[in-house]
Order: sequence, then C-alpha cells, then structure tokens
Amino acid sequence: LIHSRALGVTPEVSVVMPHSLPSLLLQGGTVWKSQAQSEAKSGRTDLIFLIRFRHCCLLRTQRCVLAYLYDRLLRIRALRWEYGSVLPNTIQFHMSAEEVEWFNRYKKSLATYMRSVGGEEGLDLTQDIKPPKSLYIEVRCLRDYGEFEIDDGTTVLLKKNSQHFLPRWKCEQLIRQGVLEHILS
Amino acid sequence: MYQHIRFGTYVNIFNTVIPLFLQRVLLLVASDVDALCACKILQALFQCDHVQYTLVPVSGWQELETAFLEHKDQFKYFVLINCGANVDLLEILQPEEDTLFFVCDSHRPINVVNVYNDTQIKLLVKQDDDLDVPAYDDIFRDEEVEEEDSENESDASEPSEKRRRFEEVFKCGGFFSLFRREILFDYEQYEYHGTSSAMVMFDLAWIMSKDLNDMLWWAIVGLTDQWVQDKITQMKYVTDIGILQRHVSRHNHRNEDEENSLSIDCMRIAFEYDLRLALYQHWSLYESLCNTSYTSASLKLWSVQGQKRLQEFLADMGLPLKQVKQKFNSMDMSLKENLREMIEESANKFGMKDLRVQTFSIHFGFKNKFSASDIVYATASLMENIEKEGPETTNFIKALDSLSRGNLDKLHQGLDLAKKQLRAIQQTVASCICTNLVISQGPFLYCSLMEGTPDVKLFSKPVSLCLLSKYLLKSFVCSTKNKRCKLLPLIMAAPMDVEQGTVIMVGIPPETESSDKKNFFGRAFEKAADSTNSRTLHNHFDMSIIELKTEDRSKFLDALISLLS
Repeated sequence: LIHSRALGVTPEVSVVMPHSLPSLLLQGGTVWKSQAQSEAKSGRTDLIFLIRFRHCCLLRTQRCVLAYLYDRLLRIRALRWEYGSVLPNTIQFHMSAEEVEWFNRYKKSLATYMRSVGGEEGLDLTQDIKPPKSLYIEVRCLRDYGEFEIDDGTTVLLKKNSQHFLPRWKCEQLIRQGVLEHILS
Repeated sequence: MYQHIRFGTYVNIFNTVIPLFLQRVLLLVASDVDALCACKILQALFQCDHVQYTLVPVSGWQELETAFLEHKDQFKYFVLINCGANVDLLEILQPEEDTLFFVCDSHRPINVVNVYNDTQIKLLVKQDDDLDVPAYDDIFRDEEVEEEDSENESDASEPSEKRRRFEEVFKCGGFFSLFRREILFDYEQYEYHGTSSAMVMFDLAWIMSKDLNDMLWWAIVGLTDQWVQDKITQMKYVTDIGILQRHVSRHNHRNEDEENSLSIDCMRIAFEYDLRLALYQHWSLYESLCNTSYTSASLKLWSVQGQKRLQEFLADMGLPLKQVKQKFNSMDMSLKENLREMIEESANKFGMKDLRVQTFSIHFGFKNKFSASDIVYATASLMENIEKEGPETTNFIKALDSLSRGNLDKLHQGLDLAKKQLRAIQQTVASCICTNLVISQGPFLYCSLMEGTPDVKLFSKPVSLCLLSKYLLKSFVCSTKNKRCKLLPLIMAAPMDVEQGTVIMVGIPPETESSDKKNFFGRAFEKAADSTNSRTLHNHFDMSIIELKTEDRSKFLDALISLLS
C-alpha cells in the first residue's frame, strides 16, 4: 500500500502491465525528487525523513521490478531452446513488444553462432540436448494435439493415447512440451 | 485349389514395406489380449527394422471406421490385428486404390471377398490353417460372363484392370445365384476362431530370425487367452502348445544345464503341467478353488452340499484348512512340494479328471513367477477396468504396458482386479443358479442380469460378460438334471448403459465334451434384428455380441426363438 501510494497509483489498480512499470517508476521517481527539492527549499525540513524513506521504498520497488523483468528475459531465452524459432500464440500474447524484439534479436544471434560452428551447414545446438540412445523412438500422445507436420511434409494425427514410432529428432520438441511421452520398453 | 488366395507371409509384409522405408504404417488393434500380444510382437519387429508406425486401439467397427477416415490421407499401409477378416473390408471402408491392408485376424470364417482379393488385402494366415473357403468358381464369375448373363445388376462392377474388386451380384438371375447363396450360407453360418494372432506374428518373427524369448512369451499369452476364453478346441490348444514347446526348449535350454545356467535375473520360460486353478499362486489355494469355474462347477460350490464336498476334498488331500486359506506363498513347503500330484489324485476321485493342464510359466528374479493364465486374467481385467475415468483407450494402453516386464506394478494391479472379477463372477453364477435365473426358451437357454445385481457394472463389458456366460453355462450343465437342457447354447443379457437404456447380449455355443466351439448366434442375431426392426448395434468384432435397446428385447428374443426352433 505504501508503494502504491508512493507511485501515486490508486489501490484498485492491481494489475500493471510489465512494460508500463518502468515508465511509472520513472514518473514517480521524478515527481518525488522534484517534490523533495521543493519541500527542502520551502524549509519544511521535518518532511525530509519521510521523503527519504519513500525514496528508498521507490528504489527498492525499482530493483524488484528490474529483477522481475530480467527473469522474464531469461525465461524468454529458455523458450527459444524449448519451443524453437516460432513461439505459440498463447505465449506471444503475454510478451510485450520490446520483449518480442529482444527475442528476435536473441534468435538471430543464436542462429549466427550456430552457423559459424560446425563447418559448412552449421550445427543445430537445440537438437539432441541429451545424448540419444536410438535413431527412432516410441512415443505416446498424452493429449489431443491435432495434426503435426514433420519436415518432409507428412502429417501425423496426434490423438490422446495413440502411440507412434518416429525418428527422434521429429519428436523432441513435442516431448519437451509434454504433448508426447517417450516410452521405454 | 487355392490359386486365388494370397497368403501373406514374411515376403509380402516386409518386402513391400521395408524397401519403401519412408512409408509409414497404421496399426489398428482390437481390444482383446490376443491382439495386444500380437501387437507387442509386431511393434518389436517394426522397431528392429525402423519402420515408422502409428498405433490406434479400436474396440469396434465404428471406431475402426473413424480411425480409418481420420488417417486415410496420411497412410497407405494398414495393419489390422484381430479385426477385419470376417467382413468385406473394401465395402465398409471404401479405400483408395493404392491402399494396402494386412489383416492378421483369428476370427473365422474369413469373408470370401477378402480371401479372393489379389491386390488390396493381404491375409496373414498360417499354412496349415484350414480355411474351408469355397472354390472361386463356385461363388464368382468373371466380369465378362456376368455382363452377358444378367441384365439387372444392382451393383455394377467397374471394369477396371488395376483393381479387380469382386462385388457380389445378388440380383443376377438363375440357378447359379441360388447355388451360390447356399454355399455362402453354409460357409458363413458358424463363427469360430483360428490360430491365435500372436502365434502368427511369432511365426513371422521366427521366419525372419528375429524371434526373442520375450516375443515367445507373448505368443504363449495370446494362445492362453484363446484357451481361457474358450475360443478354441482342446485339440487345437494341445497342438499349438506342442508347437510352442519346441520354441521354448530352443530358447530356454540353458536352464537345464546346471553349470551353464543363466543368472536368476534373466527371463526364462518353462513348460509346466500345472493346475487349472486361476491365479492360485497369487491368492490362497482355497480362494482359487472356490473361484475357478472348473472346480466350482464340478463340486457344485453354490450349494451347501458343495461346500461340504470341498471340505472333504481338502481333507482327502491332507491339507489343513488353516494352511489352505493362507496366501499360497506362505503355505508350508512340505505341502507345496507334491501339491500338483496330490491334488490330481484327489481330484480324480471327485470327478475332476482335467484338473491339470499343459501351460507355460515365466520367471525373472526371485520373486517374479507368473503362469500364462495369470497374465491373461490380469491383462483382460486391466483392459475392461470400469473404475477408471477417461477414454477407453487409456485402459488399452495400460493393459499394453502391463505386458512389458518393466511394468510390474501395473501387472500386480491387474492381478488384484482379476481377483475381484473372478469373485464377482462366481457370486453372480451362484446367485443365478440358486434363484433359477437360467430359463430354457426352447432352442436356447436365456439368462438376464437385473440392474440392481451387485457387480453388474463389471458385466457391461464384452469380455467379462462372455467369461461370466461360459462359467454360468458350465455350472448350469453340472447342476441341471434335464438331459436336453445340457446340450443347449446360452444367451446372456446384462444392462449396458442405464441412461441410454441399452442392454448387451452375448450368445455362446453349448457346453459339451467334444464341442467344436462354433457359434451360430452371429447370423441369428442379424436375422432376428432385421425381421423385428429392433434397434441393435452390431459393433463388436465378434458377431455374437450385440447391444440393443431394452424395450426391443422381448420381441427380439421372440424372433430368435421362432428363427431357431
């Protein structure tokens, strides 16, 4: 409540979009700083302690928000390894425009690196994160996913409880997402 | 004679599929233990050769059609296990011209169109399985001749050279069609079962030299399933056991040699002349004696005298009641040592001549010893488990998993469910006999389970209901004095879905010593349903199992009675 008052935000507004937080903080910070300066000039020295306290709270809130935003960036980076280059719509909906841009730049940077490693065609580092035991694996579909298109154009219909025997590299992504389950016989 | 029949063997399946290794295969597997075992063997073979496949469980014709429609754009090769042989597949599924079906089905008789189709349907049948198919010339005429002869054709067959699809022309006039109808009627009248699909798959694996002990065990379980469900004759069972025994000694001969024997953890299969008591090694001997149909029917355990006879039987063997009611593993070693011979001796005195049966058992580790029939009961109970929520395919998947040796927890769960099921069956049988629920309708016996009966939900599933019917018929035959009734077949009805008001009905052949297990109820049900316009659903792959609306039950039965008398 102290924080929300310090920011000049009414208590009813509980959901604040992440991209609006930094700007709000900056606004609040400048307001308070100028207010502190004006108070000091007008000689109301008894308020200095209150202002300093509120300023520290503000700085702390700013640090928390920055930590939160940084954590989001780390998770978005992990999404590239989990989902591949194209993120599903549900996830993109929750990302701000700046974050999407950051993701695209990370993608480009990773692609450049992967191309530079491993000779002519480059090396796809996002494949085979764990050493594979066999070329083809047996997977079971854990929920209705619908049609899944594989690189060579063929589609597989993934219905709950259907089992498939597919090349490992085609299934890895879906296994990571929890749609398919690897079965060890 | 069989020049038009193409028997699919190793050559067909693997020479057509493997070179086109970029092609994928769709496996459609029916919901019974034999199909599960065949599926396991085929999966192992496909994994060995890196053939990509998709496995879809189907429990009836509707699901088969749905699965086919969903997948027909993505697959050209379909393998059907324990489904599809006894109907005209091409007619029902209407596939494209380049679709290929491989059918491994123990249902007989195989539909003549499936047998004589050269191009699209490949049947996996063992060489010595006698199909008794009518000669080609007796049922079909080549297309040019047909066009000359008949003028009114209802189904005109397209004169296409690539696809010789044999459509049965019913309305062509003359003596030929009458003669032909008679032949077909005789051929299709009785339903029975051929060699277990699991055994056919194992044969395939053996021909390819890719057979393993694991696959052999699945073949054994598949055969035992046919025996437990009374689908094959005693002779066929013994013959098939002989065949499997040769394979078992080939794979497991190292156990006999003391010096070079395998470690105790390795899996080994052993031939046993074991007791016919269901699950006795995982239960107490007493419970097993009470809940096995053979002993329960022979001793007539539903009556007070029967109970006394059981006590006498146990006393005759010198087994104290306290020991016998304990878990089998905790019985005294001295009693367990000669148990089989002791029981056999006493059983002979009490009129039970076939208490021992040839079967196999599997060992791995110190604790894990299972007989083939144990696995059959466990897997069947898992597949028809009514406790679980969720789609039916979950049960199928669980049962499939339990066949792998790594999933012992599922197997034990299956064993517990099987015990419950067997107890429920025996109690229901006892109550049916004591309350005279089995009535003779003339050409057959009829028994109907009421809604409030305990455990009646268990019997809304086809395999459980069939098991119940067979046990009931056995017990009834032992209990009745009416000589004529002993030779009658049985129709059993149980409520299936209370909300929709449907009833599941099963017809089984009569219980006689030398029964050939041929069932005529499939055709009879069809005809009765047609003649009375009853709302029936012939969804199961076994034609003798149908669902119908409760209101139509009485007129349906009346039609059956008049049809069969």
